[in-house]
Amino acid sequence: MANSLRLYLTCIRNTLEAALCLQNFPCQEVERHNKPEVELKTSPELLLNPVLICRNEAEKCLIETSINSLRISLKVKQADELENILTKKFLRFLSMRAEAFQVLRRKPVQGYDISFLITNYHCEDMQKQKLIEFIVQFMEDIDKEISELKLSVNTRGRLVATEFLKQFI
Amino acid sequence: MACFERVSPALREILTRIHRAERPLEVDHHVHEFGSVHYHVKHSVTDPVYTYLSVSTPLLSSQGLPISSHLPQHTLEMVNGIFPGVMEALVPPNEGYQLTLKLDISRIPRDGKASTKMISDIASVQSALVSTQLKEILRNVESREVGYGIYKPIKLMYHPREPFFVVKQPAKTTAIFPMRFKEKEDVIIATAFFQELMDVGSSEAFRKAPHCIWSPIPPAELRGEPIEDLSTNGGFLSFDITLRHVQGKKLEKTVWSLLNVYTFVKWHVKPLHDVGNEEGDDHRETRKKTKKVDGGCTNVRKWMRVSKKKILGRNLELGNKMKRIRSRIKIHCFSRLRRKWLRMPKFSPVTRYMKLE
Repeated sequence: MANSLRLYLTCIRNTLEAALCLQNFPCQEVERHNKPEVELKTSPELLLNPVLICRNEAEKCLIETSINSLRISLKVKQADELENILTKKFLRFLSMRAEAFQVLRRKPVQGYDISFLITNYHCEDMQKQKLIEFIVQFMEDIDKEISELKLSVNTRGRLVATEFLKQFI
Repeated sequence: MACFERVSPALREILTRIHRAERPLEVDHHVHEFGSVHYHVKHSVTDPVYTYLSVSTPLLSSQGLPISSHLPQHTLEMVNGIFPGVMEALVPPNEGYQLTLKLDISRIPRDGKASTKMISDIASVQSALVSTQLKEILRNVESREVGYGIYKPIKLMYHPREPFFVVKQPAKTTAIFPMRFKEKEDVIIATAFFQELMDVGSSEAFRKAPHCIWSPIPPAELRGEPIEDLSTNGGFLSFDITLRHVQGKKLEKTVWSLLNVYTFVKWHVKPLHDVGNEEGDDHRETRKKTKKVDGGCTNVRKWMRVSKKKILGRNLELGNKMKRIRSRIKIHCFSRLRRKWLRMPKFSPVTRYMKLE
């Protein structure tokens, strides 16, 4: 793993360990409702300061915390326009299956490629360390997946080009 | 309209069925392919010897050359020469068609290989027409030099939205294909493909293939052409065809490949654009040859497997919770009280009534 990536992921891990201290907190606005406060943002006293961790201009991670929920938004590295398309399509594929992931948000936050929403209920059902591990592993693997997709597109293009030019020989 | 397969699969199947039928069949099929090619196959029980095949295909149009809806005489002679005695072009053809063939199916041999080959050649008559037209144009049109080393391009059109240019020079013929795509994503995928095409074309293994160049701006050969022909979003793809590529049997392959350039490009671009959709039969070969990449889903499956167990567990828990909420609250000795005081009167369903007088 590159040094800068390791440092970046370590920083995110440490921030998540500090931020993932969630507790149940019923909604102050509406009776008998329980909503993730990080999404509503109606009560400033329930929100903590958002933390933005940037690896470089293209890659960054925004962690927004509240008393009962945590939102992590990721911007993935995209070197060229082809990676841009592949990333968009792949992350859209995942977002459409957000239910299977439970902690994944269906729509990413404006300016980011993908977002996670972790609530106190997730923390009750799942282990905190495992959740953090999942997020960090996801970030490591996403770059690999995009590179593989790009490679497969170029491989396919090469095969099609070979098939086409063979006809002239 | 050109496509990869020279042979029309539907037409081949119909002719094979007629050929192998033990008793004469009544057949009157209309087959439409690629939106513009139309076949009409007719075989009657009253005339079991002959089958009539009519073909309607868009004809090549070009600037400066007369456009005719009828096939020229040499094309008809070429068709008659494919299988003399078995296939004969009727003059005039049926109304609405460019060519009507009278096929004597009984003269096709009964054994497997030869009959299959003959039927396949008959079913590829449309591709033969289309290729012959282009060959004639390339053969007959002289190179038009307008300046020192500059030759006027000839614009050819099969489909109104897919024109291409041919520049005839003494040493070579250059075919230039302007690329246009509806969506920006297609442009990006196609650009990557053209880079690969140039890389493969310049490799040692393909030094005998036509030299291939892609440029985002119009090439010098198209200087002076109308602006609407030069405005593209996918650049210009050029092939330099030399004498080596048009000698003998290679002429047929070269012409067919040039007619299929747009189809090849779409073949690569479209499935990648529609990721997640089922690919058609055309991509079977590429799928077999390409190393199986799970499309980025190797880790996705791992992630989803872990969560699915939790979802099922949660659903079960939720179901049990709801059952507990719905079930009646049990109070000790309440049941006796309920039976005595809270009995609901029995209502018998009305099955008969008394008529009032």
